Amino acid sequence: MEREVLRRLCLLNQLSLTDTQKDDVISFFADRDADTATLDAIDTENVERMVHVMPVLTVVREDKASQPFSREDLQAGAPETDEGYWCVPRVLE
Amino acid sequence: MKYETVIGLEVHVELATESKIFCSCSAHSFGADPNSHVCPACCGMPGMLPVVNRRVVDFGMKAGMMLNCDINRVTTFDKKSYYYPDLPGAYQTTQWFAPVAVNGRVDIETSAGKKSVRIKQIHMEEDAGKLVHDISEGTTHVDFNRTSVPLIEIVSQPDLSNAEEVEAYLIRLRTLLRYAKVAECEMAHGTMRCDVNLSVRPEGSDVLGVRTEMKNMNSIEAIKRAIEYETARHIDAIENGTEVLVQETRRWDDAKGKSYAMRSKETAGDYRYFPDPNVMPVVIDDEWFNTIKASVPEFPEVKREKYIAMGLTEYDAERISESIMLCECFEEASEACGNPKEVVNWITSDVMRILNAKQMTYEMLNLDNKAFGKLIALTMDGKISRANSKKILSAMFDDRTIEPESYAEANDMLIGEQNDELILGIVKKVVESDPKSVNDFKNGKEKALMALFGKCMKELKGNCDPQQLKVILLECING
Amino acid sequence: MSIYMTKQETAAANAIVTDDMFLTTDMPTTAGSKMLEGYNSLFEAEVLTRLKAAGYAVAGKTKVGEFGADLLGETCYFGAEYEGEALQYPAALAVKSGDAKAAVVLDVNGAPRRGAAQSGLTALKPTYGRVSRYGTIPVACSGETVSVVANNAADCREVFNAMAGHDSKDGTALPDSMTDAGKAAVTKKNKVVVLSSMLKGTNEEVQAKIAAVTDNFTKNGFEVVVADADTVAYAGAAWNILMSAELCNNVSRYDGVKYGYRTSNYTNIDELYTNSRTEAFGEFLKSAILFGSETLSTENYKKVYDKALRVRRVIRDNMVALLADCDALLMPAVSTMAYGKEMVENDKYLPYKENFFTAPASITGLPVVVAGGVQLVGNAFSEDLLLDLAELV
Repeated sequence: MEREVLRRLCLLNQLSLTDTQKDDVISFFADRDADTATLDAIDTENVERMVHVMPVLTVVREDKASQPFSREDLQAGAPETDEGYWCVPRVLE
Repeated sequence: MKYETVIGLEVHVELATESKIFCSCSAHSFGADPNSHVCPACCGMPGMLPVVNRRVVDFGMKAGMMLNCDINRVTTFDKKSYYYPDLPGAYQTTQWFAPVAVNGRVDIETSAGKKSVRIKQIHMEEDAGKLVHDISEGTTHVDFNRTSVPLIEIVSQPDLSNAEEVEAYLIRLRTLLRYAKVAECEMAHGTMRCDVNLSVRPEGSDVLGVRTEMKNMNSIEAIKRAIEYETARHIDAIENGTEVLVQETRRWDDAKGKSYAMRSKETAGDYRYFPDPNVMPVVIDDEWFNTIKASVPEFPEVKREKYIAMGLTEYDAERISESIMLCECFEEASEACGNPKEVVNWITSDVMRILNAKQMTYEMLNLDNKAFGKLIALTMDGKISRANSKKILSAMFDDRTIEPESYAEANDMLIGEQNDELILGIVKKVVESDPKSVNDFKNGKEKALMALFGKCMKELKGNCDPQQLKVILLECING
Repeated sequence: MSIYMTKQETAAANAIVTDDMFLTTDMPTTAGSKMLEGYNSLFEAEVLTRLKAAGYAVAGKTKVGEFGADLLGETCYFGAEYEGEALQYPAALAVKSGDAKAAVVLDVNGAPRRGAAQSGLTALKPTYGRVSRYGTIPVACSGETVSVVANNAADCREVFNAMAGHDSKDGTALPDSMTDAGKAAVTKKNKVVVLSSMLKGTNEEVQAKIAAVTDNFTKNGFEVVVADADTVAYAGAAWNILMSAELCNNVSRYDGVKYGYRTSNYTNIDELYTNSRTEAFGEFLKSAILFGSETLSTENYKKVYDKALRVRRVIRDNMVALLADCDALLMPAVSTMAYGKEMVENDKYLPYKENFFTAPASITGLPVVVAGGVQLVGNAFSEDLLLDLAELV
């Protein structure tokens, strides 16, 4: 069961683990689950979630376009480019 | 057994802003060089932080108002995670918990009558990049120009039941969003895209059948073909057991006229949405809400009725109200010249002819409408000949700054009152140089007068009120 | 082994160092990860631009643990720093050695505070939003804060003042008007509250630090009281969820396509992604990614992630209520004054436990100073007052 969850998580996050690492992560998860379970002690029934800790609202900018970066610079550290494109192995649809 | 089709649509519309939703790159990506409208943020590099483009919220809100939605006065952004090469951050910032608009309605009309389609929600989000598969074999080329271009996704309830209704709905959506001037909505440019969720069930049943989602239709016609194909496929599967229907995403191949199941990952759909800590909630206060509300245009049918009341024929009123650009042209020009009927004649003849010749859509109309109205007035007052006013109008299409009167003056096209003497002089000269035509006319040949008239007009370079010229010419001949 | 990723010669009197979580255009930025080895940014962190404009020179970039999420830097791909058996925080060593007046660092999960506490330095993690995060490697965006580690409170104050302030490029940066109003509302109460619930798991040496600081406050005429405030002790569990989920999302961009490490072993896009990430990320980071992902799954979102967001509010409300009539909440920064090599190597998930002490300020965004080996957590905008207190301990 835990292995199955882990297999799916690895798939989802594009990672692969050795068997030893899997055991390791499973025990790490068990610790975290125990940790998470402790939160049940806090009653949050009528509490709103807090995503942002400071009450800043409506941060918007004007709709103005600019292009300060060149493609050449942006692709300078790219593993593979061709004709101005980044490249990946063919993706089937 | 009779069947009914249940269809819900997810329509993605690119908003017509200058810049992208969270960074300042240009949002006009169509046709640009690959990766020429890209910055570290929209190619997935770390360190830049998203700051919301205010106009995206303006447009999202306005679209919501056009579709009779409730506007969420506190609207928030969330992250949706998945891996795909067109998604440089491996997440899309979208609205999951509090979309900008909810619970709307779009009214459509088909051969079967009127119908309301409920809108579940409209959310604002960033577009993905583009993948190009045909540059070289074995490689997919990635272009991030479109990444982070602002979109709204309009999610309908499954209230549509056939291709005709879908067509009417999409055309209605397009008209309304263009009326609001928030989007181009050009399927051929990819600025309007539509996913079709479809299932089939026995007529009268209240249990939904297996639902499939179809993507990759590039025109309304293709969408209609896809719906007809998919409906038939579902019915065939149900009736004849030709295949087992499964809930899946399918790709429409318009050339082959078939839909195909798309390769899907085991983890597809596991998006792990969570609120974006970097984007603060957007609170739409009364002032903001009311400003946008005040900018919402009258609906097409309201304009149509108004135009009929102004004396336009039903046919003309319908034609003008088809596009907000024509409406504005008509209304502003009418106000400037005071003669709506004359304006509509100009629009349906000259304006549409020029648009057609330039291969421009109504939406591309970029006239200075007031100046256009003034041109019509000048022509009606006999200050510019009809022939010259056509030339001026054509020039005004290319240059919005042209002021008709001064342009006419600068180009010797203005018929001034002080020209009476000049006209008489020219008429005399023509009459003296062509006694034969004068005699022919006096002997009852009407055509001879037209020849003299034409010669005069040519000498005058057209800068003459035809009525005025005719009077002077007759006076001159008859002494 | 060097504590630096890059060291630059500078003759400037006002030399600072920054850790490798800050983007620079004249030095690579790796975030301690093989994934970003040799990565060159096209733009610079806002704080560095501001500090340079104020006359500071960047003398180098110190090593960090992979994406700054660990204890002190033990997960750095480019090597951890030990002195004898004790794990070291590279930025603290740079300050102690005299290379720099201060280290400007990103407090993702408490490392700078642990480092300062264990090396006898002063650290300031300001109120969330007072310093721009533009140009820092994003990891746990809802709580991570640009911080300062220095020899004393005065140096912390000077560097903080030079880099703080609104930045329109950071949507979470506080408007100056809010900061001004917030600062004006801070009043000194001459009272410090020791949170007994936060002493859990500390050794005698740490408890002695708490006692010493308490004594100093008493001597200086402060009232020192003990409060339980047990909700604060849940900050670690809640922060671990939020931090991991945000980390998972933020490091998903590193996939071998646009920049950074790409595996040589692939035949299709999934292998490219998976092998690049698997080969370039360390084990601790992988575990954090997987756990973070799991907290956001359809099954878990409500009971894990959303729960943690609600607990965050309970904790913050609790702390703010306590701070209504005191200047600071006194709590340990660490369980022990040194992390031995064996301890670190035997429990690679120690950061998930040790951040019990640093999580309250991380999850609430409240400002905190480390001085005398302990933490003083204050009200929002009370940085000046906290630094005043730090001068007393």
